[in-house]
Amino acid sequence: MPSSRILATIAALLVAGSAHADTTATIPVLVPLTGFLALEGASQRNGALLAFRAAAASVTVRHEVIDTATSPEAALNAFARARRQEAPTAVVAPMLGTQMLALLPAALEARVPLITVSGTAEITERGNPWVFRFFPGDAVVKTAQARYVVEDLGRRRVALVYQTTAYGQSGHRHLVDVFARLGAAVVVEEGLAPAVKDMAPVLTKVRAARPDVLVLQLHAEASARLVRQAAALGLGLPIVAGSAMHQPATVALLEPAELAGVCAESGASPISEDAPAVRRWVADYRAAFQVEPDAFALAQYDGVAMVLAAVAAGARDGEAVRRALAAGRYEGLAMTYRSDGAGNMAHDAVIVCYDGRDRTPRVARRYVNAAGTG
Amino acid sequence: MSDLLQLIVSALSLGATYALVALGFVLVLNATNAVNFAQGELVVAGGFLAIALAPLLPVPGIVLLPLVAVATGAIGLLLSAVAYFPLRRRPPTAVFVSTIAFGIILQNSVLRLAGPEPGGAPPLLADGAVEVGEAVVGRQSLAVVAAAAILVLLVHILIERTQLGRRLRATAQDPEIARALGVPVVPLIAVSFALGAALAGAAGLLVANQFFISPGDGANFMLKAYIAVVVGGWGRIGGAVLGGLLIALFESFVAAAVSQLAAEVLLYVALLAILAFRPTGLLGETAGRRA
Repeated sequence: MPSSRILATIAALLVAGSAHADTTATIPVLVPLTGFLALEGASQRNGALLAFRAAAASVTVRHEVIDTATSPEAALNAFARARRQEAPTAVVAPMLGTQMLALLPAALEARVPLITVSGTAEITERGNPWVFRFFPGDAVVKTAQARYVVEDLGRRRVALVYQTTAYGQSGHRHLVDVFARLGAAVVVEEGLAPAVKDMAPVLTKVRAARPDVLVLQLHAEASARLVRQAAALGLGLPIVAGSAMHQPATVALLEPAELAGVCAESGASPISEDAPAVRRWVADYRAAFQVEPDAFALAQYDGVAMVLAAVAAGARDGEAVRRALAAGRYEGLAMTYRSDGAGNMAHDAVIVCYDGRDRTPRVARRYVNAAGTG
Repeated sequence: MSDLLQLIVSALSLGATYALVALGFVLVLNATNAVNFAQGELVVAGGFLAIALAPLLPVPGIVLLPLVAVATGAIGLLLSAVAYFPLRRRPPTAVFVSTIAFGIILQNSVLRLAGPEPGGAPPLLADGAVEVGEAVVGRQSLAVVAAAAILVLLVHILIERTQLGRRLRATAQDPEIARALGVPVVPLIAVSFALGAALAGAAGLLVANQFFISPGDGANFMLKAYIAVVVGGWGRIGGAVLGGLLIALFESFVAAAVSQLAAEVLLYVALLAILAFRPTGLLGETAGRRA
């Protein structure tokens, strides 16, 4: 990994945007850069940094990137540190659900909007007006995932494997509900801790239940591990995974042949899109970070871009930004964002699938306002 | 029947890596009476060394294995020089803390050099699967079990059949008497660290293809090695191997029969039961003092 180039890029982004500026926005970036969500956290960071670089000339962005690792305490410490230095205009907040739940009271007290791509449903179910989620929540993407399984694949005997983290349990709850509504039966379900290495036991349980599809709600590494071992053991079932499976860094762990028959839900798939603006963004991202972008990076980019647009339009503090996000509508690169009144800004989803020939997925189905929340 | 075979082979392949990690842990424990808490991070270092070497040397993992073992062995020597020898006359807690510190430094070095992404090492021989009766078994799983068995056998021969092994055992049993008899205790302790680290590094390469590896995985490997040594018998070389295999088989069978969560819980219940009813482990203790 050419990490020195990435650091140089980050350093360049740190000083970017000061020319002709007459408004300053302070936006700390608090994301998990170590631990089992480091992949997703790096995407969040990169998306935010690209958005800072693209800020209007009239806006200067001050920011610091702080690693929140994987514990709620680390996230709270990072938030306190960011607040001590300067009153934030908004905060790029970690996508780990347990960390977000811990940050909600702190944001309420500090009156700072949290801009996140966390999929955990509960973060916008607590009536906190300071949280804004730019990646479609579980109500959206789990609906899309379940509908694709039932309506497109025609499968009704579901094996469901999920992570025991807040993210996994939230997705599990939504999937069970949606499958029940769609008339599909969950014939076996199993929760896995992120540290579980050997997937043979869960695959054995799955096979014994005779499902006709395997649905995953796992983090990136666990998704790849399960897909690899399912291929090695000849499971022979279609797999419809959570958004982690659309990430290029996850897919890079696998051989193309292992991906045959694997699909995933996501808010978007930037490397699969043909829209010129998205293609330009993908090129910028590759040039800046020497890695492939994923939907988390694009969603975080769009979220920060909406904040910066509000600042450029006159929002000077957290309260003004919150009002702008709560009431506004923003044409982002991935989709059109608008709040549902609870801070859920993203309402569209895609299903991407791999054909086993390469690692670039194709968009198999788009769901606009998938859960009727938008 | 085919599911059972798949389950056993997959569990043994993970258990074999636990066994190597625990074996290295015991070698250092016996030589120094100190717990090396950096052992898990050495597994991660070995895995990422293999991942880094793979594009430079596009050869099967089995060819990379000795290179990775030598490189992590060198890290083990560094570990002994930095975190053990300067503190060996201090209370054992000083060495515990210093090896934890070394492990954290190693973890963050891997993170800095390789990035936060999980990685996958090349297969030992080849990808794919073979059919054994009605069962489909991964080639990598079989190769990992075979490679680990060969490494354990080589360590056994080294310890039991060579002059170096006799000196290592003499140092482990009583370093003062060994020194009085002319055995070079300090270099032998350094060799123990190197061997222990080489085994951890080899385990890292073995595990990193089928199961992948992340910079944050070290603590989990350390925990499994520690449990394996407690289960097998504190300081028992054979016990470490037995403990590693038993842990993986126990987890796999309980997870397949009940659930993964039950497997986690019952593993620690079993550990508590062993500590309560057979505190010397299944094969009994050799080391005098338990950490």
